[in-house]
Amino acid sequence: MSAVTTLAGMGDRAVLAADPLLRGDIDLGIVGIVVLKVVVAFALLLVSVMLMIWFERKLVADMHNRIGPAVAGPFGILQTLADGIKLFFKEDLIPDRSDRAVFKLAPYLSLVPAFLVFAIVPIGGDFSGDGTVTWFGERTYLQVADPPVGVLFFLALSSIAVYGVMLAGWSSGSKYPLLGSVRASAQMISYEAALGLAIATVFLTSGSLSTHDIVATQVEGNWNVLATGVVPFLVFLVAGTAELNRPPFDLVEAEQELVGGFHTEYSSLRFALFFLAEFMNVITMSAIAVTLFLGGPSGPILTDTLGWVWPILWFSVKVFAFLFGFVWLRATLPRFRYDQLMDLGWKVLIPLSLGWFLLIAAMRVADAEGWPVAPVVVVGLAGMTLGAVLLSGAVAKARAERLADLDATEGVDA
Amino acid sequence: MTALAALEGMDRLTSGEALVAQNVAFAIMAITMVVAALRMVTTRNVVHAALYLVVVLAGVAGQFLLLGAEFVGVTQVMVYIGAIVVLFLFGIMLTKGSFGEDDGVSSEKRLMAGLVGLLVFGVMAAALVDSFEDAEVAREAPSTTAEVSDSIFSTYIVPFEAVSVLLLAALIGAIVVARKD
Amino acid sequence: MLGQYLPVVVLLILAFLFAALSFVASRLLAPRRPHDRKAAPYECGIIPGRETPERFPVRFFLVAMIFIVFDIEIVFLYPWAVAHGGLGLFGLVAVLLFSLAVFESFVYLIGNGALEWGPVRRVRHAVSPARTSTSTIRRAGVREVGLEGRTIGDESGRAA
Repeated sequence: MSAVTTLAGMGDRAVLAADPLLRGDIDLGIVGIVVLKVVVAFALLLVSVMLMIWFERKLVADMHNRIGPAVAGPFGILQTLADGIKLFFKEDLIPDRSDRAVFKLAPYLSLVPAFLVFAIVPIGGDFSGDGTVTWFGERTYLQVADPPVGVLFFLALSSIAVYGVMLAGWSSGSKYPLLGSVRASAQMISYEAALGLAIATVFLTSGSLSTHDIVATQVEGNWNVLATGVVPFLVFLVAGTAELNRPPFDLVEAEQELVGGFHTEYSSLRFALFFLAEFMNVITMSAIAVTLFLGGPSGPILTDTLGWVWPILWFSVKVFAFLFGFVWLRATLPRFRYDQLMDLGWKVLIPLSLGWFLLIAAMRVADAEGWPVAPVVVVGLAGMTLGAVLLSGAVAKARAERLADLDATEGVDA
Repeated sequence: MTALAALEGMDRLTSGEALVAQNVAFAIMAITMVVAALRMVTTRNVVHAALYLVVVLAGVAGQFLLLGAEFVGVTQVMVYIGAIVVLFLFGIMLTKGSFGEDDGVSSEKRLMAGLVGLLVFGVMAAALVDSFEDAEVAREAPSTTAEVSDSIFSTYIVPFEAVSVLLLAALIGAIVVARKD
Repeated sequence: MLGQYLPVVVLLILAFLFAALSFVASRLLAPRRPHDRKAAPYECGIIPGRETPERFPVRFFLVAMIFIVFDIEIVFLYPWAVAHGGLGLFGLVAVLLFSLAVFESFVYLIGNGALEWGPVRRVRHAVSPARTSTSTIRRAGVREVGLEGRTIGDESGRAA
């Protein structure tokens, strides 16, 4: 009987998991707050992208023993702004052989999802309470929107973002962009599967898809990174890096072979928008990782006055750690080969995250049914090992067959 | 204000005014979908056709959202737009030159396509009319993910397991497609 | 409930406006000097010798196909993950069976070489064994950096 009541309780919570601001009727004042929130988030995103690009260039320069941007503003902090303004004054070229309509559409398909994903990230709010702040007498969450399907919204948008890359390359009517975009879209969809499976484990502990609920279940240091057993977090990081096409998974724009990859033919503002979207995605992916695994903005509130600043501060610190990590990876690791990339995604990350999801799920069910957990873990791990053995057997068989094929053809040649 | 009213419409479904707003939103989406569907079959460029299909599918997702079935709506985007049309596009890039414009279909194919289209339309219309007639669809609270889960694992458990067999068949089909011999 | 999407719609409009207004600004500010060469496909300055590839390896198609399967599996896993507490052992068994069926066909697929991308045989020692990290990397921070090819202490070279 208890199972049924749990389910009912969950149903209730899922319904309540909505921004209190928008629960009732919507009047003009509420629309005002919504617009304010959106504009603030928008500006925040643009400014942080500007700083991120500068930070990346500066940090990589430091790691390369160079100076990096140093002229525009103190420490070159305005370099991105200068570059952006410059791009406005550059000629906008559309190649002869391009598909003009699609060529023009593609930057939008990259940029708009990049903006939208940030909407579901809670950037503040006191999560020792109900995670709300009070503005102008209205209680609201410090996130632009909290749809009940929260994280799925992120996955849906990242599957739309694939189109930006794919169509940009296809519509250019040129070799390198086409090669780059086919590579890129195959890479992005491969790692999207791993990403999705890693996130599934988070839903086990949170019991909700909404980002606000996910953060709310992680208060007091009970972060999902430990609650889900670290593996999904690592899978998410690797898959996230690949999804962003960032080094060491930046085969999409491997400049030695593909010039600029899918955006080779883009110039001026269209190029700027791709660039913007790329870095915006880095920031939102970090923010999503923090939300899912590191407790989002939750953290100790150390002072009573200006207490609402602390969660925002914790959130920023956590996101910054990820941004630093992304830059560090870029400076440190050489690029993967395409077959290594595909092998890692399909033969390691996807089976691993699927197995781990089932293991954690079995543990939780066993716990709820009152069975001893240890035997379940042993059986689960045994099952995963069996799966791994089967998989590596299959890989070995495929490889042996290819070798035999090769030997046969070589024999014919000789 | 109509768009706004449509958005909040779910909370006041019982009042006639909200239903009007919802109908307006429905009409806008439906018209977009119909236009995109027509363009999809009339355009000569296959890639453009696939993109129009994306518009139609996005419209379907929007309709689900409008009905309060958020999980299904987002799933529609993830699976159809994010995976199936991507497969179509890969297929186009694989077989048709990357910039292939279709140089017109033969009238025989056109006839067959028209017949199949009519047949599908007939079957679906008959099925819909037969199962709903003038039944009013209950407009209760929007269905949450937990409710979706609940019905998958109770009423629809057999179809759910059947899906896994279907996926198995799809994967074996894939390997057959890709084999050299 | 749908009110929750109001901010998303506002953000969508704002993002579109931002992109569209940027294009207007760029149109006003950017020069227009069209030229055949500029509109030709970019090939690093070389005159294109070959057409863009007409076809791609079937493996890409397979990847998209397998992705659909996993995407559908994920879509079924999510609602169960959210409500697994209430479904107990029955739900777990159903999901295990489902995952097993998918995994098994995935293994079959891999066994048939569907996701074999790599070179068939690795060429060992393509690079001469004499080339190691000590022979190719120079330590930073010592005076030789940037002085390759010059005799250390050659003051005339430095003055020039």
